[in-house]
Amino acid sequence: MWAFLATEVLFFGPLFFGYVHGRAFQPEAFASASHHMHVVLGTLNTAILLTSSFTMALGLRASQTDRSPRLWLWLTVLLGLAFLGIKGYEYTSEWSEAASAAGGEARFYFLYYATTGLHAVHLAIGIAIVSWLALRARREMPIEVTGLYWHFIDIVWVFLYPMFYLLERYG
Amino acid sequence: MSYFLTWLALMVLLALTTASSYIPMGIFNTVANMGISCAKALLIALFFMHLRGASALLRIAAVTGLLWLALLFGLSWTDLGTRPSAPAPIDARR
Repeated sequence: MWAFLATEVLFFGPLFFGYVHGRAFQPEAFASASHHMHVVLGTLNTAILLTSSFTMALGLRASQTDRSPRLWLWLTVLLGLAFLGIKGYEYTSEWSEAASAAGGEARFYFLYYATTGLHAVHLAIGIAIVSWLALRARREMPIEVTGLYWHFIDIVWVFLYPMFYLLERYG
Repeated sequence: MSYFLTWLALMVLLALTTASSYIPMGIFNTVANMGISCAKALLIALFFMHLRGASALLRIAAVTGLLWLALLFGLSWTDLGTRPSAPAPIDARR
């Protein structure tokens, strides 16, 4: 699983590099486009995802101590769905701004949609797997491996949040 | 208990990173944001992903992706960072 996660790091890598390059060469455009992000929703979503990692870890612990992990796993699914719901709302409300953006701002929006989109696809797959676990899993091994994947998605978001939402907020 | 403390620490760090970005610190806003993100990632990796107490082999496997990413970033940046910037096609089009 760790080897797979290493390939996942490199899957996201080019998008991160594109961002670093854009931040270095078009800093003003990136900052002004970032001001259009919904910072409250982004912060809420970060808290939701961090909490979902917490419930996922508790699910694994439950399975290790011969208790049912079901409740924790469904809670994780629920938090994941809440994240995607809020993200979907953000996507639709930002779409018109993104479509009319030009230059460096267009680039910011492209990276924003591509990176958070790839992240959302990963999360959707994670939600499907955790749902399946909540229905079927008896042993701890599949929960542990899925947990690693879930926490990895969380770590990716931990970096995406300040990158896209928190540029020069004081301006 | 350690899971709860990890979660609590993550929430505190989230509040710190959000609050810090409303204080003008120039380049140090980015430094603070990325530093806090690294701290959060480390907490998740050590406690939620159980790298604390994991074998050396597993820990090395866990950082291989980051090592390669660092190499590729370094090589790409020595190219793109050291020549005159030309607008990317996506920017030149508009």
